[in-house]
Amino acid sequence: MNLQVDVQGNGKKSVVKLSGEVDVYTASVLKEKLNPIAQEAEQLIIIDLSDVHYIDSTGLGIFIGALKTADKSNSSLKIIGANSRVKRLFEITGLNEVIDINEDQREEV
Amino acid sequence: MQVQTHVDINSEWGIVAARQAGRKLAREVGFGSVDQARITTAISELARNIYLYAKKGQIHIEEVHRSGKKGVKIAAIDNGPGIKDIRKVMEDGYTTSGGLGAGLPGVKRLMDEFAIDSVLNEGTTITAIKWLR
Amino acid sequence: MEKTKLSLYQYYREMLKNYIKDKSELTLYSAQQFSKEMIEKDMSPEEMVSLHLSVLKELIKDLPQEVIDSYDLLLEIMIGYGLAHREHLSLRDRQRQLDSELTVAARMQKSLLPSKPITVDELDFGIVSVPAGKMSGDYYHYMEDDNGNIGVAVADVIGKGVPAAMSMSMIKYAMDSLPEQRLQPAGLLENLNRVVERNIDSDMFITMVYGTYDPKLHHFYYSSAGHEPGFVYRASQNKFENMDTKGLVLGVSSKVNYKEYVLELNPGDFIVLLSDGVTESRIDGEFIERYQITQLIKKYIHLPAQAMVEQVYRELEKIQDFKLKDDFTLLILRRNV
Repeated sequence: MNLQVDVQGNGKKSVVKLSGEVDVYTASVLKEKLNPIAQEAEQLIIIDLSDVHYIDSTGLGIFIGALKTADKSNSSLKIIGANSRVKRLFEITGLNEVIDINEDQREEV
Repeated sequence: MQVQTHVDINSEWGIVAARQAGRKLAREVGFGSVDQARITTAISELARNIYLYAKKGQIHIEEVHRSGKKGVKIAAIDNGPGIKDIRKVMEDGYTTSGGLGAGLPGVKRLMDEFAIDSVLNEGTTITAIKWLR
Repeated sequence: MEKTKLSLYQYYREMLKNYIKDKSELTLYSAQQFSKEMIEKDMSPEEMVSLHLSVLKELIKDLPQEVIDSYDLLLEIMIGYGLAHREHLSLRDRQRQLDSELTVAARMQKSLLPSKPITVDELDFGIVSVPAGKMSGDYYHYMEDDNGNIGVAVADVIGKGVPAAMSMSMIKYAMDSLPEQRLQPAGLLENLNRVVERNIDSDMFITMVYGTYDPKLHHFYYSSAGHEPGFVYRASQNKFENMDTKGLVLGVSSKVNYKEYVLELNPGDFIVLLSDGVTESRIDGEFIERYQITQLIKKYIHLPAQAMVEQVYRELEKIQDFKLKDDFTLLILRRNV
């Protein structure tokens, strides 16, 4: 029930590293940190989930909200380091077709 | 006997001074120790709100009469940011000054009459009266 | 009023006098009763402290001034406690009111769900849907049309409680206004998606699976919008298969096309549709695996569909210690032998 959000950014690219769980208790923490970045224009936002073991549907909703915001400001979201359970969640919900999600874990600012 | 008094609030010391003035006047009007404490607590909450949100303002305390009754009237006046949502601020459970039961609903419970007047970006005036029983 | 004040004072004086003399448990017990009565009569803590001091001053000769002064401090502190108590009472009242509003809302919500049973002879249908709270974020639907085709659906709104329930009502009303009989599953989901996308909160989404069963051809046509895949049981092999489906959840994008799948049911085969409340159950602290769900269903496979879903629910409920984390919906549609 804890979530750490670490943001590193430089102008056009941000790496958002999450550690812990993204669920109904921690969703607002993620939203507070992620949405302002998604609102900026022409950003590449990379979300690192390698330290995230669990995301529930509320957490997924935050990603969707951020995606909609990013679309409006011409920014894009990319997800790296998702474990198999998280990947399956994105696949079943079809979100893997609208958010770039892959195994590559090495992304630096 | 002083019928009214004003205290400027621009630091936490102002809160203490307002409490003192209030307790003194309440005693002189004839309130017992419990009601003196209640009136003082109400003044304290109002003065604290001024200090926290408007940074400065005044507390006016005076003896009042109506239909043969005697009482104490408190007025808390500031030119601060004003209250955006008065209904919310009067709701139980909503308190930004920390502490259960405190805040404006608490002041209303300690006194007999209570009124708020607030204009955004202009200021707030809160008045409350307690009558001698 | 004066008379009551006097007798209260006298009562308390007697009680305190007795206690100081005997220190008896009996007196403490009567103090407890006294406390309950005073709280009920709305006597505030600060009034209580003041009463105690007045009585103390009378009972104890030459009470030290320091003791008397110390009560000023206590009085001040007790006012805070009194305010907190009054706030608590007020909040409790408000909660009672909210609770009764929710009960009405839950009743209204129930009336949105189908209640008439399916009467197609060769089909055995079972449904169980239990909300985690008072309001459900799960939606289920079944309908028999004039041609004897059966439409079934399960939808899951993200989250639970009132916001999820309101989105659920949206689905229900949207479905009502669609010419369901003339729409294929994919088209129906596409329609719903447009409605949901326009009306839903930006952080919310809905998953849904919808299908129609043609009892003459024994074909089940279905589409899924990001919903947890169901199962199909093959009687001839005594095996469960996954209904592997792909599709974007409702409410994310206004332009989505859904894929339509079809499967054929042989005698004894059945379809299982479920919601998150089933798949997010935990066994021994770990999330339940899909094979564990089918294992559980197999246990009751000899029962009629309705009994099957109810038994599975009861077992999972017990494993979760009777506390549901999410709305639970399980639907089984079986072609009779």
